[in-house]
Amino acid sequence: MATVSQNSKLGNILWPTLAWGIALVFFFPIFWLVFTSFKTDADAVKPEFLFFFTPTLENYTNMTENYDYWRFATNSVITSTFATIFALFVGVPAAYAMAFNPSRHTKDILMWMLSTKMLPAAAVLYPMTFLTKNFLGIFDTHFLVILVLCLINLPIVIWMLFTYFKEIPKEIIEASKMDGVTTWGEIKDILIPLAWGGIASTALLTFIFCWNEAYWTVRLTTIDAATLSKLIEGNRAPEGLFFGRLSAVSTAAIAPIVILGWFCQKQLVQGLTFGAVK
Amino acid sequence: MSDRTLPRILQTPAVVLLLIWMLVPLSMTLYFSFIRYVLNSSIRPEWMTPSLSNWRGLGNYQYVLNAKDFWFAIQNSVFIVSSILILTVVLGLGIAVLINRNFPGRGIVRVLLISPFFVMPAVNAVLWINMILDPVLGLQGIAVGGLNNLIDGLRDFPVLGWFFDLWPKLEPISFRATQTSAYAVIMMVAWQWTPFAVLIFMTSLQSEDESQREAATLDGASPWSQFINLTVPHLARPIAIVVMIQSIFHLSLYAEIEIVSRGNGNKNLPYLIGEFTSNNIGAASATGIFAVILANIIAIFLLRMVGKSLMD
Repeated sequence: MATVSQNSKLGNILWPTLAWGIALVFFFPIFWLVFTSFKTDADAVKPEFLFFFTPTLENYTNMTENYDYWRFATNSVITSTFATIFALFVGVPAAYAMAFNPSRHTKDILMWMLSTKMLPAAAVLYPMTFLTKNFLGIFDTHFLVILVLCLINLPIVIWMLFTYFKEIPKEIIEASKMDGVTTWGEIKDILIPLAWGGIASTALLTFIFCWNEAYWTVRLTTIDAATLSKLIEGNRAPEGLFFGRLSAVSTAAIAPIVILGWFCQKQLVQGLTFGAVK
Repeated sequence: MSDRTLPRILQTPAVVLLLIWMLVPLSMTLYFSFIRYVLNSSIRPEWMTPSLSNWRGLGNYQYVLNAKDFWFAIQNSVFIVSSILILTVVLGLGIAVLINRNFPGRGIVRVLLISPFFVMPAVNAVLWINMILDPVLGLQGIAVGGLNNLIDGLRDFPVLGWFFDLWPKLEPISFRATQTSAYAVIMMVAWQWTPFAVLIFMTSLQSEDESQREAATLDGASPWSQFINLTVPHLARPIAIVVMIQSIFHLSLYAEIEIVSRGNGNKNLPYLIGEFTSNNIGAASATGIFAVILANIIAIFLLRMVGKSLMD
C-alpha cells in the first residue's frame, strides 16, 4: 500500500519501528514463558530476579519427574498423527470424487459437512461420555481420541483438499482415464504426486489442530489417553506456585507446534476460511 | 461401473462417518432434553436411568429458561464473544495495513505476529492468568509493586515531594473475580486470534486492485479517504468471515474459561452445560439444544457466504 508517509524519510523509520514494536508486544508472552522456564520455582516469583538470574535447566530435566511429561507428549503425538492419517485416508478419495466428478449434490454435501463442524461440542458432551463409557467401553482410549480428532477435522480436511484438487486441470485426469488407468491408479500415480504440496499442508494444519484441541481430549480422557492439553489443564498452578516448572512444561508442549505453524501460515488462511478468502 | 457410482462410493465413508458423528449424539441430546434424567437421586432413583416413562415434555427447557445462571451465561457469552470480535477486527485491520508494505525484517515480523495463534488454549490460559496477570506474583503485580515503590521514594523528595503525596497507592487488579476474569479471558483470546485476523486481512489486501489506488492518488485522494473508500469496502467480505468464524469458535470457548474461572461464577454456555452435566442431564441437554440453535443462526450466514465462493 502506497501512502504518503512511505515516501517521506520519517515514515521510512516510523512505520517499520511501529510494526516491529507491535510484533514484539505480541510475541512477548511467549518469550516470557520460555524465559521463565529457565528460572527455578523460587526465583520465578521474586521481583529481584525478574530479568537477571542464574539460568537453570532443572525444570526441563525434572519434567518427567514433576509432570510425567513424556507420557502425555507421546499420547499427543500418537493421537494427532493417526487422526491426521485417517482423516487424509478418508478425505482424499472423497475430495477427489467431489472435485473431478461433481454431481448436483456435491455443493450441498460440502456445505453440510462444514455445518457439522459448527455444532457446539458441549451440546453433545453427555451423550458422548455415556456412549463411550457405558455403551462402547472405549472411554479414555487412544482409539477414541483418534476417532474424535479425525471426525472433528474431517470437514476441514475435505474442504482444503477440495480447493487444492480443483486447481488441477480436469484434462489430466480425463486423459489418464482414456489410457485405461484404474481409479486407484489415478489417485496414486497422478493425483497425489500433482497435489503433493496441498496434501502436505493439509496434513500439517490438521496435525496442529489435533495437537491443540482442548475440549474432547480433556473431557473424554482420564489418564491412559490423556494428551498435553489435559496435562496443562490439570496442572494450572494455584496462585503462583511452580511458575518455573509450569513454564518449562508449557514451553515443551507448544514449541513443536508453534515452529510447525511458522511453516504453514499461508495454508492457515485457506484452511480456516474454507477458500472464501483468496 | 458407471461414471456415477464410483464417485459415490469414494465419498461414502466420509459422509457416513460424519452422519453418525452428527446424528447419534445430537439425537440423544434431543431425547434427554425431553425427559427427567439425573445422575444421582436418592429420592427418585427411577430418574437415574433414561426412559420414556420419565417424560417431561418442555419442562427442562422451562427450567433452564427460568434459571438465573442461564441468562447470565448467555449474556456473558455474548459479552465475551463481541468484545473479542471488536478487539481482533480493529487491531487486525490496523496491523494488517501497517505491515502490508515492504520494510526490513518483514518476514520475521510476520512470524513473530502469527505465533500466538499456534499456542494451545490451555497453555495460553495458564500463561496469562499466572505469569502475566497474577496480582502479586505475575508481571502485573510486579509492575504495580514497582510503581508504588517508585512513588514512595519520590514522596521523600525535597520541594516536589508533596506532589507525589497526592498520588494514590496503586492496587493491582485480581483477575480471578467473576467480572474481571471475563476480561482476562477476552484479553488472552484476543491476543491469540488477532494474528488470525491480521493474516486474513493481509491475504485480502494483497489482492486489492493497485490501479484503483493509483488513480485515487493521482486524483489527490488522501490516504485516509483511500482507506475508507477503497480498502474498507474491499475488506468487507474478509471482515464478515473473520467475524463469523470467530463467533463459532468463541461461542464454544471452554479451556480458557475452565482454567481462569473455575468456581468463581464467570461462565459461558459450554461451561454451564458442563456444570449441569455433573448431575442434571435433562437440563444440560436442553441448554445444549439452545447452544445448537444459537450456533446455527450464525452458521447459516457463514455457510451462505462460503457457498457463494464455492463453485467459482
